[in-house]
Amino acid sequence: MNPALPAVTGAQSLRTTLRVLGWTGLGLIAVAVSLSDFLASAPPDAAAIGPLLTPPSESFKFGTDILGRNMLSETLHGLSASVRLAVPAALIALLFGTLFGSVAARLPVLVSLTLRWLLGILAALPALLLAILIIALTARGWASLAAGLSAAPLAFVRGFDRASVQARAVHSEYARATGISSATLLRRDLVYEFSGTLSASAARALAAVTIILSTASFLGFGAEPPHRDLGLMIAAAKTYYLHAWWTAAFPALTLMILILFARLAAGLDEGERP
Amino acid sequence: MLRFVLNEAGRLLLGLFGAALMAAAVAALSVPHAADGLAYFLVAWAGRINELIHLRFGESVISGLSIFVELATRLPLTLGLVGEGVVVAALVGVPIGFLFGAGPVRRAAAPLIQIVAAAPVFCAGLALAYGAASLLHWPVPINGGASIGPGAFPQNAAQAQAMVLPALTVGLAGAAAVQLALRRAAAEAGQESWRFFLRRMGLASWDVERSYVMPQIFAGLLASLGEVMLALLSAAAVAEWVFSCRGAADLFVKSVALHDWSAAAAVLFVFASLTLVAQFVGQCGARLLTNPGPAR
Repeated sequence: MNPALPAVTGAQSLRTTLRVLGWTGLGLIAVAVSLSDFLASAPPDAAAIGPLLTPPSESFKFGTDILGRNMLSETLHGLSASVRLAVPAALIALLFGTLFGSVAARLPVLVSLTLRWLLGILAALPALLLAILIIALTARGWASLAAGLSAAPLAFVRGFDRASVQARAVHSEYARATGISSATLLRRDLVYEFSGTLSASAARALAAVTIILSTASFLGFGAEPPHRDLGLMIAAAKTYYLHAWWTAAFPALTLMILILFARLAAGLDEGERP
Repeated sequence: MLRFVLNEAGRLLLGLFGAALMAAAVAALSVPHAADGLAYFLVAWAGRINELIHLRFGESVISGLSIFVELATRLPLTLGLVGEGVVVAALVGVPIGFLFGAGPVRRAAAPLIQIVAAAPVFCAGLALAYGAASLLHWPVPINGGASIGPGAFPQNAAQAQAMVLPALTVGLAGAAAVQLALRRAAAEAGQESWRFFLRRMGLASWDVERSYVMPQIFAGLLASLGEVMLALLSAAAVAEWVFSCRGAADLFVKSVALHDWSAAAAVLFVFASLTLVAQFVGQCGARLLTNPGPAR
């Protein structure tokens, strides 16, 4: 009997449990986002709801900020704005990153190498700076597109390099030798590669673009009031959070929980697999 | 090995050429009417490429200074932050990567690492500032009060103290990237069948780990040097913003906000070059560690 088997089973069990936890958390966040207008006791950006800079108490669970806004309501609206920006961005990153990279590796050599070179240059830039540049070139309303496109080059390069290896694999040679067309082989490879990993890739992309979007907002290149996302809320609290910790702590904690659930849903071995 | 280095050098040169073209494209946006249509943009782009060939980098529309002077003033602080970040990343990331990279500890630590990695850099920077202000009673320049820089090295004790938090912020982001690369490399090395066969040949476990596994893991870290550099540069942009440092990354953010495209393009080119050079050095180092050639 192989003594390694129980350990592997234990590791897989832990991984599955945590992935389920991640997806459950994301599901709960989706419910909170869709019901945010009902769950929040005040509309977004509603000032003078309570006294200024009240610490967390029975009346105001997350306290109030410098304009007397209820931090619990604001955090719920901020979470909603962050998720609404991040979901389309994650889809764009997935489509133009991993998926496009896998397809591009099988295009004619000249086209595929040119694409690899172009995207390789973009991947040499920090995604955050690329997102800021795209937002400044377009408009703040396009922040989702900018975040998705800025996260895509690195995913493209990884997908391309992985698919290049696969295109030279033995099964590809056999397939070509038996008369299977390139298009059919591409379709089969894509189905094989993504059928088991699509949800994990989507969750990973969600975590990445959430970090990019919130950081861009923090630097002043994202959402605008009254639709403040969590990054902008933390940026607004920067001037007084040293004396009123709750104004930054609760939005930051909420943002971290969102990213954590997305990372758990992506699987614990994220980054440990090539 | 020489052929590999030449290959990588060719890729580096191609990458630098592409980065220069991209920078020229961004800088072309500062030419009047460049955004009016594709033809106007292409003419502006060609003009910028011509200026780059003649080593004319243009002027910043914000300060009126030449871009070269602007970069020479601002870049040392960013490079200093990245350098200090590398030291922190090595001191923190390497032990964590090795400690949590193998065996049962790896599985137990994985959820903890996910929790720590879920903190965006700006949240970590603000948390460090809060801790320093409330526990150590340090003066924290997070609201644009006394800004830091320019210059790579602090001139006095107050400046040195002010540099600690940005350097820690950048370093912790780098440490996260380093430990990730090490854990990834350790996971790959753990699946190699030659470990088993080397033990069957009579080598002690420690010899296998020291002579064969460790070089593989360090090679994995070196191969990811480009990603580590990306993490450090990204964190430098955030740290400079949070702690009011007047570095090159801060220049980029302000230039983009005020549509000073020439300055933004220059910073982009420098950052892309740093990443590409780190990739080149890392790939060559990894190759040297795993395939030193016939001399050994």
